[in-house]
Amino acid sequence: MILDTLGVGLLGTSTEVCHKVTQYSKIYSSDISSTIWGHLDSRLPPLYAAFVNGVAVHSMDFDDTWHPATHPSGAVLPAVIALSEAFPQKKKISGLDLLLAFNVGIEVQGRLLRFSSEARNIPKRFHPPTVVGTMGSAAACAKLLSLDQVKCKNALAIAASYAGAPLANAATQTKPLHVGNAAKHGLEAACLASQGLQGNKQILDMESGIGAFYTDYSPQSLPTLQSYPWLLDQQDVAIKRFPAHLGTHWVADAASSVRRKLVESSDNLLPLDKIEKVILKVPEVKYVNRPSPTSEHEARHSFQFVACSALLDGSMSVQSFASENIHRPALQELLCKTQLEHPPDNTPSFESLYCEVSVTLRDGKTISDRCDTFYGHWRKPLKKEDLEKKFQSNASSVLPAEAAEGIIETVYNLEKVEDSSVLSTFLSGQSARALSEKLRFL
Amino acid sequence: MTSLFPSPGGRWCFHLWYNEDALRVHREDTDFCQQKVSKLLSVTDSYSNIFRRATARVVARSAPEETVTSSFASFIHAVRPEHLSKTVRHRSKRMILDSIGVGLVGSTTHVFDIALQYCRELYSSVAVSSVYGKPGIKLSPTLAAFTNGVATHSMDFDDTWHPATHPSGAVLPALLAASQMLPPSTKPNGMDFLLAFNVGLEVQGRLMHFSTEAHDIPKRFHPPSVVGTMGSAAATAKLLSLSTAQCAHALGIAASLAGAPMANAATQAKPLHIGNATRLGFEAALLAARGMEANPLILDDIPGCSGFSAFYSVYQPKPLSTPSDHHEFLLEKQDIAFKRFPAHLGMHWVVDAALSVRNLFINYAGSFSPSLIRTIVLKIPVSKYINRPFPSSEHQARHSFQFNACTALLDGEVGLSSFTESSIHRQELRELLDKVVVEHPEDNVANFDKMYGEVALLLHSGDVLTGKCDTFYGHWRKPLSKESLLKKFRSNASHVLPEDKIETIISMVDNLENLSDGSQLACSL
Repeated sequence: MILDTLGVGLLGTSTEVCHKVTQYSKIYSSDISSTIWGHLDSRLPPLYAAFVNGVAVHSMDFDDTWHPATHPSGAVLPAVIALSEAFPQKKKISGLDLLLAFNVGIEVQGRLLRFSSEARNIPKRFHPPTVVGTMGSAAACAKLLSLDQVKCKNALAIAASYAGAPLANAATQTKPLHVGNAAKHGLEAACLASQGLQGNKQILDMESGIGAFYTDYSPQSLPTLQSYPWLLDQQDVAIKRFPAHLGTHWVADAASSVRRKLVESSDNLLPLDKIEKVILKVPEVKYVNRPSPTSEHEARHSFQFVACSALLDGSMSVQSFASENIHRPALQELLCKTQLEHPPDNTPSFESLYCEVSVTLRDGKTISDRCDTFYGHWRKPLKKEDLEKKFQSNASSVLPAEAAEGIIETVYNLEKVEDSSVLSTFLSGQSARALSEKLRFL
Repeated sequence: MTSLFPSPGGRWCFHLWYNEDALRVHREDTDFCQQKVSKLLSVTDSYSNIFRRATARVVARSAPEETVTSSFASFIHAVRPEHLSKTVRHRSKRMILDSIGVGLVGSTTHVFDIALQYCRELYSSVAVSSVYGKPGIKLSPTLAAFTNGVATHSMDFDDTWHPATHPSGAVLPALLAASQMLPPSTKPNGMDFLLAFNVGLEVQGRLMHFSTEAHDIPKRFHPPSVVGTMGSAAATAKLLSLSTAQCAHALGIAASLAGAPMANAATQAKPLHIGNATRLGFEAALLAARGMEANPLILDDIPGCSGFSAFYSVYQPKPLSTPSDHHEFLLEKQDIAFKRFPAHLGMHWVVDAALSVRNLFINYAGSFSPSLIRTIVLKIPVSKYINRPFPSSEHQARHSFQFNACTALLDGEVGLSSFTESSIHRQELRELLDKVVVEHPEDNVANFDKMYGEVALLLHSGDVLTGKCDTFYGHWRKPLSKESLLKKFRSNASHVLPEDKIETIISMVDNLENLSDGSQLACSL
């Protein structure tokens, strides 16, 4: 998860939304500073580094997704990395400290999501990373700051007052800010708690606490630490293969498969004029139902767009969402022929949804295929080589090869890394050769 | 009314209204009208002797399919100082003065110290914006807004509106900070400042009217964190002269920064709700100014994908009419309540009731003799977060009907010093608190427009003395006089400012419309 998130974030620093928030954040400068991933030239105060990097991670909707639904890593990793750089020489953060804090942040999110049955389905009201992500970030940062129990409680309480953004900004340029803000505000909450600020000690118990974000809310105490059952043990994340809403990954796999059946070899173009209509059987998810998206943000949240793109090209990639590809006539033509259907058995949950793509030709023939589990889903996780391939492809857009390699090495051996700042150094793009002495493994 | 330019499609028309004041051009079809405007301006010239104002003002008129969100953006963008009525100007200046005073005294609190220390440690920077009560310190604009917002709400001493929220604290700090941020050539004048402030209030009020839930004392989300953030975004967008589209995006971005649960009320974290409302709304406007885009329908009701509606279970939005000469700001019809002592508004009813029964008791017994009292009955509305029999912190004490009633009974008044550690834990007070029982009459609704407070003393002798308060002094039905408001301000400000500075602020706010450089207000703090 850490490796994937870093890669996705590095790639994301080149997006327009990221440029805007970086410009914005530069109005704050300070003595204490943290790395902006992929940028050697400028640094930001930890809070704004967390913000900017969090935005980068979610800028293309390329980051991991969990069940119950949220984007867990983007809300936590930027915050803990930024914070780890903010400790002056007096305290060194080891790779193990970082890994533990990260997992605390993930675990807290998962536990909170289980307090409401609403959370099991694709959201409709509040965007989950803004609710549980903020809490996870606060928990992770509290852990890294080694706050005592009382202060940890306060960090959570304060974070709750920052949580919660409505879903309507999904599929707009503002959505990436949801993850950026989750990371930033969680960090801020932990810092304020560290300075003694107090909140409601029963923030997770009360309906008017974190419960305010749900219509049904039944919190439970965490199990004891003795042989602690981590949620990540039982429930893995899904890693995306292309930058779009998770729901579209089922569509892409089904559509690619249908295309293979339609054309003789991969050289052949899709016989567009022979196609009468395209029917997608998908769950009912309003914010991913967009018949003719006009921006990259909308395209990433469109069943229809991904289906047609995959039918035309055979597979989805980062490039699929470039402006020229969004607006190409062949795609527009195919989109006009595309309809959605919502079978009642297709529940809007990342655990159980499926997608069926049917292409009906003018001669009456119908070619279809169904995808129950796409490659990258937790039931069919990415292989090591493919995860690394995704990372390399992403990281190489802003980092030299040695830095990318350095990150892979560091993350795989995180438990043994003495000084986690080596990770930040690679992230800023500094030459690995000059840092080879820093890489010390036990 | 004359239709001068029939549009090609026949659907849109270009109307010219003639009246004594101005030529008002209502533009319904943007593209079509763009060429026509210049033609119209030449027509205007020949009529300049008829009209007092020669400039044509183009105001977008609400079309049937206009969205709620775009109507808000248009309002924010197009409203002008001339649209403010005298009442609204007067009332809003009172609010500005009170808010500053409350912020100044709030800069002496512990929670303020934490916020300030936090901001200073993490940032040294474009430090141009003033901090209440700290003449030597400046912070970056949004952090100054944050810090001053925290100060304003630190003691729950700030104004309250109906439907319920604390409107000024969410708006004023952002505007003060922003005014210091702008370069000298584009500094807003006092009138611009006053207008932006009122835009911030109006947007909050309008949003609250979208949900019947908002009329009652809140249970789920703390209103300043919901509508306050939006108000701050609107006000700052206005001050920064953002375009209509940018105003809409500011609102959209702000919605994703809104919403804090009630549970942190009565804790030290509550002041952050106002601090964040004003800061984050400000940030939203700054982001929008840099081109950030959000959902253009954020205020509209779109089933299946919640926008601002996420914060309410019932949500019925309506478009805002574009400001014409007849736009009535909500502040015109519905004034604000100013607090007389630093505690939740609900406390003010029971305190006035307690003071009234205390007088009766003193007449009856010669002096206030607690030993004669068997039971103290409080008749209050149902509201969990302000029903606390034995508060243990100042934050809890400010949110306790029981505490405030007993303090009023014991001391004959409630003020700043009522909430110190020693005052909270006094033996005599605990003894009185022990005698309190609470009742929730059905007719006592948890609503700042309708609630009442009743305090009954059941004496050992069998006699019963009662005091009831329907409208406390400071409530919008019985507003503070100018003298009382100034007294409160001077008392608050004197904790941190010298007398001459205090008087400067008073006269500056009083003459705000005539101030040539709006940032002077912030500089004077």
